Amino acid sequence: MVIGVILFLGAYLMTIGNGIAAGMDKGISDNIINSFMGHMVIVSDKQRSDNVLFDLYAKDVAPIYNFAQIKAVLQGEPYIKDFLPVGKNMAMILNEESDMMGAFLLGVDFEVYRKIFPDNFSVIEGKYPAGGERGVLIPAFTRKEIYDFTNIWLLPEGGKIVFSNLTPEAKEGRKDLIAKGQQVYMGFKDDNSTADVRVDIKGIIKYKALNTFWGHFVIMDIESYRECLGYFSAHEKTSEIPKESQALLNMDNSDLDGMFGESDMVVADKKGFRIAKLAIAEKVNKAPLNIDAGAYNLVFVKSADSNDLEKKAAALDKKLKEKDLGVRVLTWKKASGVIGNLAVIIKGVLFGFVVFLFLVAVIIIVNTLSMAALERVPEIGMMRAVGAQKSFIRDMFVAETVILAGIFGGLGIILGAITVLVLPSFHIATQNDMVQLLYGGDVLNPIIDAADILLAIGQLVLVTLVAVIYPVHIAKNIKPLDAIVRD
Amino acid sequence: MQVRFLPGALFFVLAMNIIEIKDLKKDYLLGKTVVPALRGIDFSVEPGEFLSVIGPSGSGKTTLLNIIGCIDFATQGTVKIGDQEITLMNDRQITDIRLHRIGFIFQTFNLIPVLDAAENVEFPLLLMKKHSRAQIRKRAEFLIEAVGLKEFIRHKPAELSGGQRQRVAIARALVTKPDIILADEPTANLDSVTGSQILALMRDMNQKEKTTFIFSTHDPNVLRYAQKVVRLKDGLVDQNQ
Repeated sequence: MVIGVILFLGAYLMTIGNGIAAGMDKGISDNIINSFMGHMVIVSDKQRSDNVLFDLYAKDVAPIYNFAQIKAVLQGEPYIKDFLPVGKNMAMILNEESDMMGAFLLGVDFEVYRKIFPDNFSVIEGKYPAGGERGVLIPAFTRKEIYDFTNIWLLPEGGKIVFSNLTPEAKEGRKDLIAKGQQVYMGFKDDNSTADVRVDIKGIIKYKALNTFWGHFVIMDIESYRECLGYFSAHEKTSEIPKESQALLNMDNSDLDGMFGESDMVVADKKGFRIAKLAIAEKVNKAPLNIDAGAYNLVFVKSADSNDLEKKAAALDKKLKEKDLGVRVLTWKKASGVIGNLAVIIKGVLFGFVVFLFLVAVIIIVNTLSMAALERVPEIGMMRAVGAQKSFIRDMFVAETVILAGIFGGLGIILGAITVLVLPSFHIATQNDMVQLLYGGDVLNPIIDAADILLAIGQLVLVTLVAVIYPVHIAKNIKPLDAIVRD
Repeated sequence: MQVRFLPGALFFVLAMNIIEIKDLKKDYLLGKTVVPALRGIDFSVEPGEFLSVIGPSGSGKTTLLNIIGCIDFATQGTVKIGDQEITLMNDRQITDIRLHRIGFIFQTFNLIPVLDAAENVEFPLLLMKKHSRAQIRKRAEFLIEAVGLKEFIRHKPAELSGGQRQRVAIARALVTKPDIILADEPTANLDSVTGSQILALMRDMNQKEKTTFIFSTHDPNVLRYAQKVVRLKDGLVDQNQ
């Protein structure tokens, strides 16, 4: 009975754990795809690391200057539903009152962004900027971090402090609160070719879920972003720049060797390179604004569905390479680095917990079965005396344990599966960021499929077989004489 | 092996002993002390004999039966069952001998408590994996009836008296039609009337099934059932018997 209860509880918890992990996996996947970066991400060929979303220690994300040509390819692919070019890099937030601090910038055209990701956040203060409007949207998460670090409370330009939105610490120190409606950003690039940009705060936003991740991203209009990062903006038309000059623009500033390629230009040093770049920029005429003419870093691509993403990414990659556009395609999982694999990591942790649970269960079962074997010395010894081989005793013990595991463990798996199926109907929601990580979103939505049940059965079988080894060894070595001597 | 003249026969035949024991010694180690239980025993048993091993407590009766029954091992000497030298066998072979050639009746009955009378009797046949379920059932029922327990066939050991349990043990010992049945003090836990009945039953089975019976006892009253007696004293066969 003790063994049965242990097996039941182990199988029950394991099934629920698997269900939560699978739900979290799906939740995070859906959240990343639907609310942040789509199914695929196009990056420059010059981009070294695949992790373009959340790599704090990597170099800046390489720019893409030819989005207009990429756009033409994307529009011709039937499996592509939508796409969004974005600028994405780090920036320093400059303050007169305190030290600098970093933030992730996401440069977008607000109108396009809203069309592609309509529900991923809500504006809790201020307003959603119109297309082409300049400004930033600050996540509440970042506002809190900035307040904790600088004592500055950000609010939309011209707006007032909303008391209910203050953090407990901000409420306490309200008298000393420094309210600001603007911020100065300085792009963060390896070559330091960035500029300071002062932008109005248009709104404070709260992401629908996973603010722990997305709350780090300040959403800025793309033109301010480009200026901040020292890229050519849409105002600085690049289409008429000669091929050699375009190559120079595309070149990494630190790559001096690259300057001695096919180009006829000879640039002596890094300073000369900057001067040459500036001279090209001056040639840019003042054509009507074409927002796509400026630089981006990434293109988020939404597929019509999530099936065969690897194949779709490979097909799109091939298409873009055929056009020699200098970009490559990553799946969201590759592009999101550790976040994409977070579900796998947490699943691993949960699996580790389940393994620990079963290790404890194995020890208890081994002890209980060993005690049972010793209590059954007269019975087993007598069986051996009348001619039962050791293999018969082994099979008998294994069969007994397997039946026990089958009944109680099976019951645990069935009830665990029912629990997992029933849990979503309770609509258990949380606003806690850490719990949202576990949920894979704002609502606990565990899922279970045949593979999870097979996994649970496999784990149960493994535990049973491991647990029975030592007791079987004891039982097999009971001698007929032991039975007689005991009696 | 010995040359025997069979009454009524017109010729001599070679009759092989069912058990041959030579210079059998068994020592037990109690801490650092070696305690000799058998000090060098020689004797043989012919097929179909009803032999009693007698002697006082500590004389080595149980040890001798355990070694013959392949549930204990000799320190020295040889034991042959038929033409098989059991002291040279491995566990699998020894177990096979126990299953096919030897039946046991123990002083404390040693039935499997979770099985009923019929199932206890059927158990050795199931281990043999040679008979159909129906054959096994038929053989068990026949023996249960033969030992007078037809009405108790579905009773668990705990629901039977001592004498009834020993009858089940006798049926179980006989079920595989072994060459030898070893009974270690089969009447020790029974009252005198039941004990006599059990011995009478064993003798009856010996005659009907032509099975060799070797039983140990220190009760001189049961000697009248024995066809042959081996008397042990201090781990040796008492030559003055």
